[in-house]
Parts: sequence; structure tokens; C-alpha cells
Amino acid sequence: MVAVKVKRRRFRLRKLTFSKIMLYLFLAMMVVFCGLPLFAMVCRSLMPLDELYLYPPRLIVQKPTLRNFSDLLTSLSSSTVPFTRYIFNSVFTTVVTCVASIIVCCLGAYGLVKHKPAGSNIIFGIVVAALSFSVHVTQIPNYLVVNSLGLVNTYLALIIPKIAVAYNFFLVKQFCEQLPDSILEAARIDGAKELRIFWTIAMPLLQPAWTTLAVFSFVNNWNDYFSPLIFIQSNALKTLPLALQTLSGGAGVVARSGAVGAATFLTTLPAILVFAFMRGKVMETMSYSGIKS
Amino acid sequence: MSGKAKKKRRMSMEKKRSLEAYIFLIPWLIGLFLFFLRPILISMQLSFSDIVKLKGFVMDWVGLENYRYIFFYDINFIPMFLQTVTDTLLNTPICLVFSLVIAILINRPMKGRGFFRAAFFIPVLLGAGYVMKQMLGMGADGTTITTGIVVPELIADLLGHNLTEFLQGVLDRITVVLWKSGVQIVLFLAGLQGISSSLYEAARVDGATEWEMFWKITLPMITPVILMNMVYTIVNFFTDATNPIVDYIYKQSFGNPQQFAHGAAMGWVYFAFAFLLCIITIGVMRRFVYVSGGKE
Repeated sequence: MVAVKVKRRRFRLRKLTFSKIMLYLFLAMMVVFCGLPLFAMVCRSLMPLDELYLYPPRLIVQKPTLRNFSDLLTSLSSSTVPFTRYIFNSVFTTVVTCVASIIVCCLGAYGLVKHKPAGSNIIFGIVVAALSFSVHVTQIPNYLVVNSLGLVNTYLALIIPKIAVAYNFFLVKQFCEQLPDSILEAARIDGAKELRIFWTIAMPLLQPAWTTLAVFSFVNNWNDYFSPLIFIQSNALKTLPLALQTLSGGAGVVARSGAVGAATFLTTLPAILVFAFMRGKVMETMSYSGIKS
Repeated sequence: MSGKAKKKRRMSMEKKRSLEAYIFLIPWLIGLFLFFLRPILISMQLSFSDIVKLKGFVMDWVGLENYRYIFFYDINFIPMFLQTVTDTLLNTPICLVFSLVIAILINRPMKGRGFFRAAFFIPVLLGAGYVMKQMLGMGADGTTITTGIVVPELIADLLGHNLTEFLQGVLDRITVVLWKSGVQIVLFLAGLQGISSSLYEAARVDGATEWEMFWKITLPMITPVILMNMVYTIVNFFTDATNPIVDYIYKQSFGNPQQFAHGAAMGWVYFAFAFLLCIITIGVMRRFVYVSGGKE
């Protein structure tokens, strides 16, 4: 009994080789690098004003203070719109955009890949073109279009333009190409309608693709304060990131820099939480158990 | 005769499937038309025009005037453009190789795998938001937190000035690349996990080494993901809001209303180049993409 135990122990020790230690060391270094922005963000939200403007900039906070958060709260309480309204606006528009975008992009990509309609090459060309066009560059024409549709200053202005996103389509399309035709054929022979095949066979198989998409899309839409800045004038419709940035004086205002740090921290928090919550789904279910030959 | 009839029937079947595909695509196409095609057509028109009246956006056709301006009179555009192009061309391969290596490392069974996988995704969560801008030195005085990471003095003395400068440049680039590889790592992981383990088992039975398995199995099987990642990385570096040129175009368009048209022209030159790069990448990479089962 004892002998077995000793033997097993020795075996485990032998497994921890030099190369493995190096691997962990390397990965740990990379993790530190990746965690740096997050760490810096937390530190900056706790920094007193004099530390924020040190040269060279300091990474680690020396005298942590919660004043930034109380500063932010004071500027919030003086506004006419209750704080919860901003949270609702952000959550509502982000969630609706995400869900709609996933459905529309999966439908389209599935149709394009698995049905190969006439002109699918042209459509794919347009998708790549749409990918390479920066949103910031088309912002004025975009405003003109949204304005002509009469959507300015409504929730829809924050939702509709961001549904048919080229990148989401591109990602799902690549995943769709790996769906085996045989399963779809089998369903078709059994007499399933196309929409039903899509919903009950393709979508579950594409789950890794769209859960990933859900996280990307949530993070992007949540952090986006560019489109509310342009499309929304009414205070009651502002989203959380925009409200926090404007309330705290916006970037570049010296007096409230601390509050900006606190605001940044608070806006990033939900994205981190969503990721923490969905992490298992995104990272682990990405294996296509059994659907690939 | 029966053959002809058969052919005819098949044609109609193909047509039917085409039609079904378009029904699936309709919602997406509407969105694409409204919020991509129309804006870029307006912006194209804008790039060939001069705005006569801001109210109602009255435009006057001026031909290539705006393009002439940005190429021959604007002293900032061309240097910034070239800088972005070199940066993208240098960063993309570094980013791809790096994320593939990391993905392979954290795909193997090991302790704390979940933790590592999450950690590499953190920079993505922060997005191109305010934090990243500060970190990447978009602050007013150009100071960054990344400049804190310097080559230690002892090593610097040993290497001499030029080599240190080079090393510092590489270090700076690596930090930027690292923070922008989260998505690529996740996509590579997805690709790696899509490779059937029976392939590796068969190779192991045949006595293949890890190194051989990487070149003969992993790399060919992952080529579709490499293509996807390549396009994504190029686009991501090009359209990044922290990019000096995107910032410049934006400032041109919004800073002074008179410059809308110049901004549009710059946007078009920039876009045309990015698009061309993507098309070339896809065209070249398609030759190397391995399709399992040899379909088509």
C-alpha cells in the first residue's frame, strides 16, 4: 500500500519537468501583461488627483482613496435623470442588439453557406468590404441615413444600425462551413422544413459560434459610446457609458479626472461580469463534439 | 430525353434553394443596404463634392478636387497613412504567430487552463475604450503606462544604443500586439478543438513526434481559422479607433464642418487600401486552405 503511494508520488514529481516549469513561467508572464490594463484601471479609479498627473505616469496607486467614486456620485445626484434609467437604457439596447444580431447573422450566414445561392460570391465580397470600412469614417453619412429614417433620438437608432454587422456575419459564416452537409441532408430527407432545420439542427451545432458572438457583441455594444453620442440628444435615452463620461466632465477635464477613472471602472464592470458568467460556455463548448468528421 | 427532363428538374431545384437562401438572407441584406451601402455611397458622393450649404447637406460636384487636396496639400495624410500600413503589416504576422502559440499552449491539458484562457481575454473586455486609449498613449502629452516597461539599464549598457532602441521598439510592439490578440486566441482555440483527436491518435500510433504532428495535422487543419484570423487582424488594426489616421480622419470630418468632404475622400482612400489588402489576403490564402474531405 505504502509502496504504491510512494511510487505514484515519484511519478508525479517526474512529470513536473523543466520544460513544464518554463511553460508555466512563460504563461504567467503573459497573464501579467494581459492583466496590466485591468490592474491599471482599478488603480486609476483609486488614485488621488495628484498621483494621476505624476510624470512619468505611475502604475500602482500609493495612497488609495474612494474620493473619485464619491465625486462621481455627487455629479450623478445633481442630474435630473435617475441613475437606474441609464442602466436600463444600456442593458435594454445592448441585449436587444445582441439577440437580434445573432439571429439575423446566423440566418444569413447559414443561407449563404449551405444553400449557395446565385451571387453568393458577390455578397461575400460586400461583406469583406463592409469589414474593412471603419465606422468612424462613415459616421456622417450614417447619421444622414438614420436621420432620414426618422430614428434619431430613439432607442431604435442604437439598435437597428448595429444588427447586420459584417464581422458577426463573417465569423458565423466561417463556422457554418464546418457544418457537415450529411446531417442537414438527413433532416431534409426526413421531411423537415428549411426553417426547422436551421432552428433545431444548425443553431444547436453552431452554439460555439454564437455564444462567442454573444460575448463579443455584448462587449462591443456595451462599451460603444460613439453611436449614442451621435444619435441621442435626450438625456433620458443616454446609455451608461455616455452618461458617465459626460457627467464626469468627459476625458480631458483635469478637475474631474479622478471621477473619469471611477466611471471607466464602473462601465467596464458589466462586460467583465458577463464574460465571467459566459466564460464556461464560450471557452469550453467550443469543441464540436462529434459534428466533424 | 429522360436525361433532359432530369436536368430541367434539377435546375428548378437549384433555383428553389437559391430562393430559400435569399429568404434567409433578407433581414441581413436590408441591414447591409441601409447601414452600409447607403452610407458609403453617400460618403463617396461627398468625397467628390464640396458642401455648399450645411443645412440640408447641399453638395456641389467638384470632381477630384478633394483627392488632389489630400494627396498634394495635406502634409499629414500620407505619412500617417504609410505609418499605419507599416504598423499593420508588421503587427499582423506577430499577432497571428503569437496567438497561435498561446492557443496551442493553453489548449493542452494542464492545471489552471480555464484561468489562463480567461486571462488572455481580459484586454478584449476593456475594448477600445477609454482605458486602452490611456494605456496606448493617446493621452494629451503622449505619455503611456507602457513606457514604464523599459530595457533594464545593465542590459542596455551591454547592448549599446542602437540595439537597445530596437529592443525597446520590439517590446513596445509586443505589448500592443498582446492586448489585441484576445479574439484571435479564442478563435484559434475554437479551431484547435475542432480537430478530431482520432487524427492525433493515429499519428501517435504511427510514431509521429509532436513537432511532426503540428506541421502535418494541426497546421493544415487550422488553415480556415488562420485565414479568418488574418482578415480579422488586418481589419482590426486598420479600423482601430486608437489609430492615428482614423483619429485624424475623424477630426478632419468633425473638427471643422468645412472639411467633411476631405474626411470622406481620406476615408475612401484608406478604405480602398484596406479592402484591397483583405482581397489579396483571401485570394492568396485560399490556395493554402485545406478543406476536409476534399469537398468541391
